[in-house]
Amino acid sequence: MALIATYAGKKRTVQLGIALALAAWVCLDAMGSGGEGWARVWARLPILLTGNASGWPLSGGFALNVFLSLCAMAVAALLGTVLGFGMLAKNRLLRVPCFFVMNFLRNSPWLVLLFAMLYIIPFNVRLFGVSIAIPAFVKAVIGLALPTAANFAEIIRGAVQSVHSGQWEAARALGYMPMSIYGRIILPQALRRMIPGWMNLYALLMIATSLATVTGIQDVITTLNTLLAMENERVIVYFYITALFLFFAFCYPLALLARRMEQSVKGDSL
Amino acid sequence: MFNLDYSWLADPVYQGWLIRGTLTTIELAFASSAIAFVIGLFGALALTLRIAWLDAVIELFVEVFRNTPPLLQMLFFYFTLSTVGLRMTDPATGVSVPLLSAFACALISLSLFGGALCIEAFRSGLDSLPRAVTEAARSLGYSRWQRFRRIEAPIASRICLPALTNIMTNQFKTTSQASVITVPELMYYAGQIYNDTFRTAEVMILVLFIYVSLVSLLSWGMVRIERMLAFPGYGKGA
Repeated sequence: MALIATYAGKKRTVQLGIALALAAWVCLDAMGSGGEGWARVWARLPILLTGNASGWPLSGGFALNVFLSLCAMAVAALLGTVLGFGMLAKNRLLRVPCFFVMNFLRNSPWLVLLFAMLYIIPFNVRLFGVSIAIPAFVKAVIGLALPTAANFAEIIRGAVQSVHSGQWEAARALGYMPMSIYGRIILPQALRRMIPGWMNLYALLMIATSLATVTGIQDVITTLNTLLAMENERVIVYFYITALFLFFAFCYPLALLARRMEQSVKGDSL
Repeated sequence: MFNLDYSWLADPVYQGWLIRGTLTTIELAFASSAIAFVIGLFGALALTLRIAWLDAVIELFVEVFRNTPPLLQMLFFYFTLSTVGLRMTDPATGVSVPLLSAFACALISLSLFGGALCIEAFRSGLDSLPRAVTEAARSLGYSRWQRFRRIEAPIASRICLPALTNIMTNQFKTTSQASVITVPELMYYAGQIYNDTFRTAEVMILVLFIYVSLVSLLSWGMVRIERMLAFPGYGKGA
């Protein structure tokens, strides 16, 4: 086997080199001038990751971001499915409002929507005479789920419409009922195309959970800001780099996987 | 259910804030989009040179900016550029002040973030160019530069346009996060207003509508431009 043969091989070698160089730089820095900084980060890492100095139980930090993204994705999947099939409906009265809602949610900034939900949703709801307090976490879930749901719906619509119209006609000619055309013909094909889109969307949502700090929950950014208040200026950069790396380490593999699946789906465009 | 009180909107002070904030938002969004386009163009062109190490470096840049929160990027740039680095001593007062304002830091951060997305968009645009077109141009005796200027760029830019629309609307939406580093844009003034009036829900609903109308207007305009530029019989214009 040739050591460096193709362009892709060469590129991979360089990438490996860059990764090694960065790791080496961090190590050198840690041994030299930045040692103190990295030591501070290391000491605070459990709090950043779990919101708890001892690392257990999980009460906040990056773990809360992950949990928040999972909850928001679940809510968004529900809402988005309803909205997506609403947009595919034959009935205009159903389709047009769904398009309007989808466009509104997609055109509004995540942060503003989050803020709006924070203030529009009341602090307490009275349900059957019982007053239930709505925690900030629930508001963050709803605020993040709304724009995600709109994107989710758009992915469903795009994938269903990308199925060739011949499939519809063939199914109809074979006497399938409308519901079973969806269930047996269209969705199995469309689902394959939706999954990479959903994965990208989830990565986007994970990145957006950093905004949830405005609701005051103890997520990684809130924790970071609390920690930084106690650190001296030189050390703060290391904390920011660590926080950036946490998100990168979570989202980059997802993005890679999504891209690989996209490539494998690309072929079957009938 | 809601008792919305918009009487504060009659106050000229708040009207002025809203207008100033909206203008700053538009300014920031357009400036950062313009720089992002330039970054994207040069990045994508550099990729066509097929130099392995350059490719690897650009990919690293794109992936880092795409896979980390823009909010954190902004905080990072604000801190590293403004708080720690690049300070100057004010000759009048002798106080050390940051050289770059919050606005400049937000602009740099947003431009790099958008630039990463643009590189990706331009690259896929150049990739999706039909091979036959390039080959035809070659066999007609176009030089490398002519081929790019006359054949590849016009077609690729039209293929990229929908993606660019997405990126621009995304830039618009992301500018709201600059309020966190105290850039006086719409979101920042919204905070100022509800700190004054305590009408949080009303202010946020209004601001949400301002953002949605701005972004909708922008994407409507971009679709018009797309239609105007479309080659007859090619792509969407067919």
